[in-house]
Amino acid sequence: MRDAAPVREASGIERFLAMGTRVELHRFGPGDADALARARRAIEAVDDALTIHRPSPATALNEVLRNGGTARINDPLLLDALLRIAAGRAMTDGLFDPAAQVGRADAGWQALHIDARAATVASDRPVALDFGGFGKGYALDRAAAALRDAGVTCALLSAGESSISVVGEHPLGGAWSFAIPDPRSADRTLAEVDLVDEALSVSSTLGAGALAPGRAATVRPMDGVAIRAPRTAVAVDRRGAVAEMLSTALIIADDRQARCLQANGRRMIFELAHDACDGMVTE
Amino acid sequence: MTDKTFDLSRRAFLDRALLATAGSVMAGATPWVALAAGAQTAGAGRVRLGVIGTGDRGRALIQNIAKTRNCTVAAICDSYAPNLGKARQWVPAGTPEFADHRAMLDARGLDAVVIATPLDMHARHTLDAFDAGLHVWCEKAMARTIADCGAMVTASQERGKILQIGHQRMFHPTYLNALRRVKAGEIGTITQIRASWHRNNSWRRKVPADSTDRRINWRLYRESSAGLMTELATHQLQVGNWFLDAVPTRVMGSGSICYWKDGREVYDHVALIYEYAGGRKLIYTSLLNNARYGCEEQIQGSKGTIEPELGRIYQEVPPRALALERMQADVQRGHKRTIPIGGATWFPELPVTTPGESLGWGEYDETMLQFEGFGEAVRTGKPLPGLLRQAYQASVASLLGEQAMDGGQALAWPTSLVTI
Repeated sequence: MRDAAPVREASGIERFLAMGTRVELHRFGPGDADALARARRAIEAVDDALTIHRPSPATALNEVLRNGGTARINDPLLLDALLRIAAGRAMTDGLFDPAAQVGRADAGWQALHIDARAATVASDRPVALDFGGFGKGYALDRAAAALRDAGVTCALLSAGESSISVVGEHPLGGAWSFAIPDPRSADRTLAEVDLVDEALSVSSTLGAGALAPGRAATVRPMDGVAIRAPRTAVAVDRRGAVAEMLSTALIIADDRQARCLQANGRRMIFELAHDACDGMVTE
Repeated sequence: MTDKTFDLSRRAFLDRALLATAGSVMAGATPWVALAAGAQTAGAGRVRLGVIGTGDRGRALIQNIAKTRNCTVAAICDSYAPNLGKARQWVPAGTPEFADHRAMLDARGLDAVVIATPLDMHARHTLDAFDAGLHVWCEKAMARTIADCGAMVTASQERGKILQIGHQRMFHPTYLNALRRVKAGEIGTITQIRASWHRNNSWRRKVPADSTDRRINWRLYRESSAGLMTELATHQLQVGNWFLDAVPTRVMGSGSICYWKDGREVYDHVALIYEYAGGRKLIYTSLLNNARYGCEEQIQGSKGTIEPELGRIYQEVPPRALALERMQADVQRGHKRTIPIGGATWFPELPVTTPGESLGWGEYDETMLQFEGFGEAVRTGKPLPGLLRQAYQASVASLLGEQAMDGGQALAWPTSLVTI
């Protein structure tokens, strides 16, 4: 904790619901007057492209893939997202896989064939994509880019507070410091994470979110086994989309896989089998 | 559409209905779904249906029946010849045609009848069919009076014949999924349902030279219909009772002929409040000169709202993010400290309503499923459990609402209803 000169420059807040969660955009200091509005539009554009909860380019793609066909991707956001997911899946050695096979428990990205040049996706068998483990981080990336384009040098972006992205340093200087809560007790903190021009993603098998009615357990792509071990994962990366995919992968990873994922960055797994104070922290 | 794609469409629809009703809670709340979805394909032994009333609705039903796997239209009947002529294209050549329903019943060769006649004829046609030893599927509302509704139920019980009423929302996956999410507590305690059916047209049809206004526009005259209450509201009152898991304790309302002053006798504006135990309410409006808010039931709970016609669920706005708010205040006063974020959070998203899941006309839908369910009930001689009670209570609610508006008084739920 420290005190500094108060910030007197332009600041603003944009709050809205998107991607099934509460989004907050806080900007400080210089930048175009409409910067927040542009950032909001960037998030809503991602939501419109990737949602599977109302008609969208993603649902149109799923319609084709569900029948094992070939789809042409006309939406550049969707195509960009697919290519980033393909990279993320490779990076996580298949642990992050947003493709569900119709009628089967295991995942199905391996059934997809993406031709970036032709902008097509083909599927060997019926699959459906769910961008939930990717979209929020990706949307924050696009919003942060919009803010930077608008001359903003200091901002905090939050999607449901499980996905955070910051532009620049804290308005009072230095890193933005965030406390990761223990999902079993709001009074406890698992870790503090400092960010500068970075993004943070938190995934957990515990907590109000995981217990929400209708919420499906996180599933291990290789065998379709639901992950029920009490675990919270935190990932930090320059890109929110990558952090998002990594935190999901960390929830699923076994010990060896976790070590690999944690080799090149700030990634944390909290095993919460017992009391919060006994939780094993791997960083 | 080919048979193969129709089969896929049918299978997908059944899967969605079954998925929505899986689990003991939903199976107990919607026992008719699994039985209807499990109806045996009859092949040559299809349930033979005689359709009484081949107007617009009757012809739509005929087209639905033709696509079921266990029912067939074996005779058609209408006292207005042009209606029979229009229906002919939808039934196999040589299907017997009748101008009088008694002649059709006397001709035998049927297992059940489908009644799509004006409301005031439902009871007579139903009782006549029971007398002929046939089962009955009847369009909603059940009858023009509460007494006739009860008489239909009683006759069904005494004769041991199936009586099923056309409330297709009870077979619709979106409604079933909405109920599942209600049962799971996603929108909290339901305290109010706001339902509306708003249109912007006169509801009046052109009268051909060979017919009469009262025959063609029977919905506009009190001898044959309670207008908006029996023709529209009854669907939504059924949904209200279903989701509140109760019947009203009393109803109050106001009705008027407010806009279409064209000689009609039924209200073109109705507004009612149905009270349920515990202070819960269903607020209903229907009108014919403004379509802005269309047809919808807004099912309102302490945690969220479901709008099944739109296939949407809305969560109450999450609590304000105090941590980020505090961060803003800290920055303003030059105080920096760690921001305690909420962590892994998730708010239920909107239900899936992708284009592929919207099964429209020409594919398998809830109307076909309810007929397959009816066919199974006829085959086994056992009614689909729960359906008739829902329909009876919805019809009583609609007719009680009419009485409350006519009398300008709040009316208590009748205590003399037939027990189902």
